[in-house]
Amino acid sequence: MFLRYLVLSGLTVVLFSFELMKPLGANEFEDTASLNMYGMPGMIELPSATNLPDGQISISSSVFGGTIRVNLSFQILENLTGAFRYARIPGGDFNGYTWDRSFDLHYLLNREKSFLPAIAIGVRDFIGTGIYTGEYLVASKSLGSKLNVSAGIGWGRLGEENGFNNVFGSKTRKNINYGTGGTFNFGHLFTGNNSPFFSVSYKINKKMKFISEFSSDSYIRETSSPKGFTRRNDISLGIKYEVDPTFTLIATWMHGDALGLAVNMGINPRNSPYYSGTEPAPMPILQEKYRSKAQKVEREILDESQRLLGLDGIELKTMTLTGGTAKVGIINRKYFNISQMIGRVVRILSLTTPSDIEEFQINIIDFKSNLFLSEIVVKRENFEQNELKFIGPEKLWETVSMRNSKDTFFYDAEDSIERFSFSLYPYIDTSLFDPEDPIRFTVGAELLTKYKFLASTSISGSLRQPIAGTLDDIKRGPKAGLPNVRSDFMHYHRDISSNLFLNYLTLDQYLKPSSNLYALVNIGFLELMHAGVRAEVIWKNNRNPYGFGLDIAQVQKRGTDGGFKLKNEHFNTYLASLYYDLPNDWIIKIDGGRYLAGDFGSTISIRRSFNNGWEFGAYATLTDVPFETWGEGSFDKGITIKAPINWFTGKKSRSYATATIKPITGDGGAKLNLSEQNYLYYRVSEYSNKNILDNWTRVFR
Amino acid sequence: MRSLPLTILFITFLSACTSDDVVKSEKEELLGIFKNITSKSISKDKNITQSFAFPNSKKWLEQFKQPIILTSSTDKKNQATLVSLGNNEERLTWVSSDGISLSYDDGVLIATRGYSQDLLSLRYEKPKKIFSLSYLEYNKTHRYLNGENRYNEIHFECTGKKMAPRSIEIIEYTLLVDRYVETCVSAKHKYINEYDLLSGTTVVMKSKQWISPINRYFLTYNLYALQQF
Repeated sequence: MFLRYLVLSGLTVVLFSFELMKPLGANEFEDTASLNMYGMPGMIELPSATNLPDGQISISSSVFGGTIRVNLSFQILENLTGAFRYARIPGGDFNGYTWDRSFDLHYLLNREKSFLPAIAIGVRDFIGTGIYTGEYLVASKSLGSKLNVSAGIGWGRLGEENGFNNVFGSKTRKNINYGTGGTFNFGHLFTGNNSPFFSVSYKINKKMKFISEFSSDSYIRETSSPKGFTRRNDISLGIKYEVDPTFTLIATWMHGDALGLAVNMGINPRNSPYYSGTEPAPMPILQEKYRSKAQKVEREILDESQRLLGLDGIELKTMTLTGGTAKVGIINRKYFNISQMIGRVVRILSLTTPSDIEEFQINIIDFKSNLFLSEIVVKRENFEQNELKFIGPEKLWETVSMRNSKDTFFYDAEDSIERFSFSLYPYIDTSLFDPEDPIRFTVGAELLTKYKFLASTSISGSLRQPIAGTLDDIKRGPKAGLPNVRSDFMHYHRDISSNLFLNYLTLDQYLKPSSNLYALVNIGFLELMHAGVRAEVIWKNNRNPYGFGLDIAQVQKRGTDGGFKLKNEHFNTYLASLYYDLPNDWIIKIDGGRYLAGDFGSTISIRRSFNNGWEFGAYATLTDVPFETWGEGSFDKGITIKAPINWFTGKKSRSYATATIKPITGDGGAKLNLSEQNYLYYRVSEYSNKNILDNWTRVFR
Repeated sequence: MRSLPLTILFITFLSACTSDDVVKSEKEELLGIFKNITSKSISKDKNITQSFAFPNSKKWLEQFKQPIILTSSTDKKNQATLVSLGNNEERLTWVSSDGISLSYDDGVLIATRGYSQDLLSLRYEKPKKIFSLSYLEYNKTHRYLNGENRYNEIHFECTGKKMAPRSIEIIEYTLLVDRYVETCVSAKHKYINEYDLLSGTTVVMKSKQWISPINRYFLTYNLYALQQF
C-alpha cells in the first residue's frame, strides 16, 4: 500500500509541473484552505506543518462515512493552534452513533526555510474520551509555487496501520483511563506503535487544490459499525476549492469507499473590514482666533458643550470651570474605544470653553450604576499642538494623567432624571451537545425594565415569553452526587414550556466606599434558578494592571415554573478573585473559594483580548468534587467568545455579542449565572490606564 | 410548543421597541449585520465623493458663501464639495456632508477622518520647501491604523520634480500653473501625486493625491482661491 501511495504521489509530481524551492504565499489574516476535516492545519484528515494566521477563528464542518464533525478552532498564538470538536461517530448507543467532544493542540516548531521543511507537533483529543486520540510529528515543504508535500509519523489513531516499533522505545500504547471523560490525558502520548503518513497537495489554479493522503488511521470504530464505512485502502483523494480566504469547500473520496464533504469558514478579529472606522470625522481643533469671543456664563457653555457632544453620542452631565480647569462628568454609551471618545470630548471642550481653561478633567460616569469611574486629565495646549502631528498621540500621552475618580455617584437633577426605561426584543436561549438534539434553543420575546429610585439604587427585571423551540424537550435528567444547583436546568425549561416567566428581578444597590473600592448588592430573583442576596466588592486601581474581587451570595433555589415560588433548598457561595491584565493581549482571572454546591476549589480563566474588543478565552474549574461524582465531563470548563458589533459595522457602538460553549453542565464548580454586566471589575477596568493607552492611537481619530 | 405559529415570532420582531434610543440603535445595528449578510450588500467604505454633474460654471461657484474645495474621483464621475471647518496653525480641515474630513498643509493632504482606511497622519517635508524647488529627494511616511488599532506605517522614498508651466481650466477660469510631480516608492506601494501650482508660487490649485492602499487617489480643486465673498 505504501508503495502504491509513493507511485501515486510520484505520478502527481510528474503530471503537474514541478517548480522547485518557491515557498507558497499566505494570506495575512485568513486562510481556510489550510484546514483539514478536523478543523486543524492539514490536508484531508492528516496534519501538515503549517499554521493559520495569528488570531484566526475558524468554524468548519465535515461529513463522510457516517461521521459528522463540527470544529471550532483558534490560532491561539502565532505558532499554536487549538480546536474544540463535537463529532457524531459511527458505533454507539444513540441510534448507532456516539456523540463526542474533543480538544486538539498543534504547535509549529519551525517555519519553512529555503531548503528546510516546516516541522510541527500535535496532539488530538487530549481532553475527552480519547476516541480521536493521536499524536504526530510532521514536516512539510513547498516544492515550487504549486506543490506541497508533508510527511510525518503518528501515534494512537495515526499509528494503527503500517506500524513499526516506537521510535522513542515505548513499545506498547499505554491505556488511557477515560473515567468520566473530559480530563487531561498525557501518560499515553507518543507511546505504542507508530506509523508513517504522507500527504501531497497540488495547486491547480488560484482557487483549487488537488489533495491526496496516505493515512495509517484504521478507523476501527467507524468500520465496525453498520453506520460507518469500509476502509478499502490507505489513500484518500480530494479537491479543495477556496471560494475566498474566509471560505473553503473540500470534496473527498475517503479510503476508496466514502464520499466526504467539508466546509471551512474563518474570520480574523485582527482584520477589521472597516480599518479605522467610518464614524463621522471629529470636530477639528481651531486656532484661537477662530473661536467665539463672546463672554458666556457657565450654563451657556454647558448647554453648548452638551449639544455638540450629544451629536457625537456622548452625554455631558456635569461641568465646572475653576482655576484654569474644566471638570466634566460624561456618560459614554457609544464608544467602544475610550481613547477616541476622550479625544472627541477634548475637541468639543477646546471649542466651547474660555481660553483661560488650561486643562480638561474628564470624569467617566458608568451609565448603569451612576458610579464615577476614572478621571483623565488632558492639557489643552498639548492636545491642540499635537493634533495632526505625525507622532501627536505619543507626544500627547506623555502629558496625560489618569486615576480612579474621587467622586462617588452622579446625582441626576430631579427634572432630568430618566427613572424608568424598558425594552421589548426577541431573545434566544440555547443548549448544546445533547446527543438527541445537539442544538436546542428557545426563541421568544423579552421585556427588560429598570426603575431608578436613586442615583445608586434601582430595580431591574426581565420577563420572558418563550414562543418556539426545543429546550422544553430535553430528555436527560440532572446529575447525581451533588446538590442540583445547575444540572437540573432542563426541569426549568420543561416546566416553563411556553409560559411567561420571570427571568430575573433584582434590587441593585451600588456603593463606592473609596476611590478604588466598588461594591454591588443584588437582592431578589438573581437568575432563572436562584433567588437571594449577592454582594460583590472589587478593588481596582486603574493605574495598575491587576485588581481583586470578592463575590458572596446566599441563595435559595427558585421553583421550576419561573414564577415567584421558592424551593426549600438553600446554598451559599463565596469566591475571591484575582484579575491580571498581562502586558500583551492576555487577561487572567483566578477565582478561589466555595462554589454553589458547597464544593471548594478554583477557576482559572484566560482570554486573549484583541485591541479592538474581540475576546477569545477558556476557563476550567477544579474543585474538591471527585471527577466520578461530578459525572460525565469530570469538571466544569468552557470556551468564551466576545465580538464587538462595531467591528462588523464600522460605526461607533458599545454593544457586543457573547457566546459561552460549555461541553457539559454540572453542579460542581457552579456559580450564579449572571451576565458580565453584573460584574463590576470589567466595567471599572474598561477605563483603565492599560486599555486607554493600548488604544491611544485613536485619540485623534 | 413546536406548533406555535411563526407569526407570533414575526409579530414579536415587528413589535420590538424600547424607551432608550441607544438600545434601539444597537438592536438595529445587530439586525443590519444580518441583513447585510443575507443581502450580501456589505459596503466596506464610505465614498468621499457623491455623484452629481461635474461643476463647470462660475455661477455654480458663486452660490457658496463660505470657502469650499471640490474633491473628485480620478475619472471625474463622482464629486463632493467640502466646506472649511477651520485651521489649526497651517493645517486646514475640510468636511463633506457625510462626515468625512480632509486636512491639508499648504495643499498637501496630511490626514483623513471617517474614510475607512484613514490616513491618520503624515511625516512630510514642508510643502513650501518642496514646491519652491525644481527637484528634491525626500522621505514620506504614511501612518494608518490596522484592525487592532495599532499603527501601520508605510515609508516612501520620494522625488519631486517641477515641470514647465502650462494652462489649465477650472470652473471657467484659465490658470497658468506649474505642475509638480511627486513620485514615491515603498517596498510594496508606489504612487505618483500631481500638484498644479499657481505659476511662480507654491499655492496648490489642483492636485491628484494618493491616500492609502485601499482608498487610492482622488482629485482636489482648491476652489476657495477662486471664490469672492
